[in-house]
Amino acid sequence: MELQINGEGVEVGDAISVSELLKVQEVKMPDMVSVELNGGIIQRDTFDTTVLADGDKIEFMYFMGGGSRRSAD
Amino acid sequence: MKIDTKVIHGAYKPDGETGATVAPLVMSTSFTHESAEDIEAVFNGRAPGYVYSRISNPTIMAWERRLTELEGGMATIACASGMAAISTSILALAGAGDEIVSGNSLFGGTYSLFAHTLARYGIKTVFVESTDVSAYAKAITDKTKVIFVETIGNPKMDVPDLAAIATLAKENGIVFVVDSTVTTPIMVRPKEFGADIVVHSSSKFINGHGNALGGAIVDCGTFDWSGDRYEHLHDYHAKAGSFAFMAALRNQYFRDIGACISPFNAFLTNMSVESLAVRMERHCDNALELAGRLDSDKRVEQVRYPGLAGHPGNKVAEAQFDGMYGAVLGFRLGSKERCFQFINGLNRVQNLANLGDAKTLVIHPASTICHDLSEAERQAVGVTDDLVRMSVGIENIEDIWEDVNNGLDSLK
Ligand SMILES: Cc1ncc(COP(=O)(O)O)c(C=O)c1O
Repeated sequence: MELQINGEGVEVGDAISVSELLKVQEVKMPDMVSVELNGGIIQRDTFDTTVLADGDKIEFMYFMGGGSRRSAD
Repeated sequence: MKIDTKVIHGAYKPDGETGATVAPLVMSTSFTHESAEDIEAVFNGRAPGYVYSRISNPTIMAWERRLTELEGGMATIACASGMAAISTSILALAGAGDEIVSGNSLFGGTYSLFAHTLARYGIKTVFVESTDVSAYAKAITDKTKVIFVETIGNPKMDVPDLAAIATLAKENGIVFVVDSTVTTPIMVRPKEFGADIVVHSSSKFINGHGNALGGAIVDCGTFDWSGDRYEHLHDYHAKAGSFAFMAALRNQYFRDIGACISPFNAFLTNMSVESLAVRMERHCDNALELAGRLDSDKRVEQVRYPGLAGHPGNKVAEAQFDGMYGAVLGFRLGSKERCFQFINGLNRVQNLANLGDAKTLVIHPASTICHDLSEAERQAVGVTDDLVRMSVGIENIEDIWEDVNNGLDSLK
């Protein structure tokens, strides 16, 4: 199936959980990432149980760098 | 993991490169990046990474992650001090024309911040009797942005019912901020009682050794930031969802105010917290024993300690604090002169303006930490001229008692 990750199409195996996605995508600092699924942030404690579907839109975001206020707009 | 294991193992895996079992101390102001694209990605939140230690730093983050885990929260920002944590979080929630509803039994610095400093910038605080839930309800207006309490007010030693106040906050869509400095995550995780934000002065019990100032803002992850009252956070909510408040702090308020903790202080704090559970147990056991002995001593007029059966906060404390009652107590000796005689008669107990140290500490609040309060303000915070405050340490209780007895023997 194909997911939209940070705006780009990415091919992944079927029925993958958010936790598994973090691993296969080798997402850095997985414990610091916030994951947005189809426009809504999902809670960390549901990463294992949230199973993704074809076409899901995923955004990985970090709030570590303190980028300008504009970048939050 | 139970809380007394989490303080040791929570949120830290030995460093992958070196195997170091202690989160390394990274005394670096800034962090370099391979390419212009890399640093751009960190700035716009697309990649993790450190830029500048006023905003984030690996040592500080190791401490933040651990405290998040201890509180069962979503994320934490460590600050320079407890006051830094309180002022930064309030400034991110309220602006000119807004209001705070706060319990009136507060640490003096917080009281001064609310009553005087924030008032100058147009933020008004309505103080209510800390334990009177209906008083909070009456004080709420459409301008209220924060409901604020301390888990145990000192030196009044009153215990607000967190769950009842949280319900009220929730009904009105207002953020409930709880200062849990004197209870620490060992005694209570305020999130379990409905708090949205927990603030700490880690300078006290969490550090526990009196060697590093620090504070923290913990976001429990429970508040819906799309509410009407927080329009100024709506763009952060659109981008960061439940992370809105943390994003607003890290990308704006905390970053702009700049009251960050030193990596060295975070390092010391993260090390000290490993013994927090055993220290709190000993602190509380000693305080309960001392309160009981003082309570049955004829030289002492009144003992304020939530662990005593006759204390008005005893039932709430029992329900909220996992069978512990804290390590701060107040007692009255009849006059200011007698308080001074008592303090001057102590040999080992240290006379200073702090609490939550391994050592037993004493102070006469009226002439020191509360000296700049008006008579009415002193009454509200429960400070009388004949009151002594003690922060009970983790020494052997018989040694503490021996010295307290020295003080009581000095009473004329
Ligand atoms: C309950 C409480 N909150 C906040 C503070 C402020 O903390 P700090 O001294 O770290 O600024 C203190 C003590 O100083 C305190 O006792």
